[in-house]
Amino acid sequence: MRATAAERTQTTTNPYLICAAAWLVPGAGHLWLGRRQKGLTFLITLTAMFAFGLWIEGRLFPFDVTQPLVALSAFGDIGIGVPYFIAKGFSAGAGRVVAITYEYGNAFIIVAGLLNMLTVLDAFDIAQGRK
Amino acid sequence: MTTHLGLMAVFSVFVSVAFAALMRDDPGDQLRFGARLFAGFMVAGIVLGWLLYPLPL
Repeated sequence: MRATAAERTQTTTNPYLICAAAWLVPGAGHLWLGRRQKGLTFLITLTAMFAFGLWIEGRLFPFDVTQPLVALSAFGDIGIGVPYFIAKGFSAGAGRVVAITYEYGNAFIIVAGLLNMLTVLDAFDIAQGRK
Repeated sequence: MTTHLGLMAVFSVFVSVAFAALMRDDPGDQLRFGARLFAGFMVAGIVLGWLLYPLPL
């Protein structure tokens, strides 16, 4: 359902600041903009998806530009924001290549990051009054 | 939990919930859209799995 004209209001806050918050904490942009239900949904779902990926032995890829696919995976990983740095801080995400769930774990972690990037774009659109 | 089908179902739940919240505003619409997405993921995954079954690795 599209937002009505009355609901579509451009916020006075800098939309780029909202994007930064949305990237750092999944759902923070929507929470900031008053979309509580969506914000909480993103916060719980994307964080759980990322944590689940780590739990099933997925890997947090390093930024290795000599291996373009590894660098792209790292770009996807970091899309989740603060949870990525927390996981790195706890030395999680080493990945165990021989684990049967390794590739699945990678998919969960990367897709959680990419979905968070979509929520950042959505928050930007809302902040601009487009939605 | 480590079965292909189980992991596909968990993945589908996460992605369906996120896309439903992104693309629909009304909670009822989100529920219906999310359920359709989840069903689509599962059916497509199973059909593709069987289509690929005869192919050699």
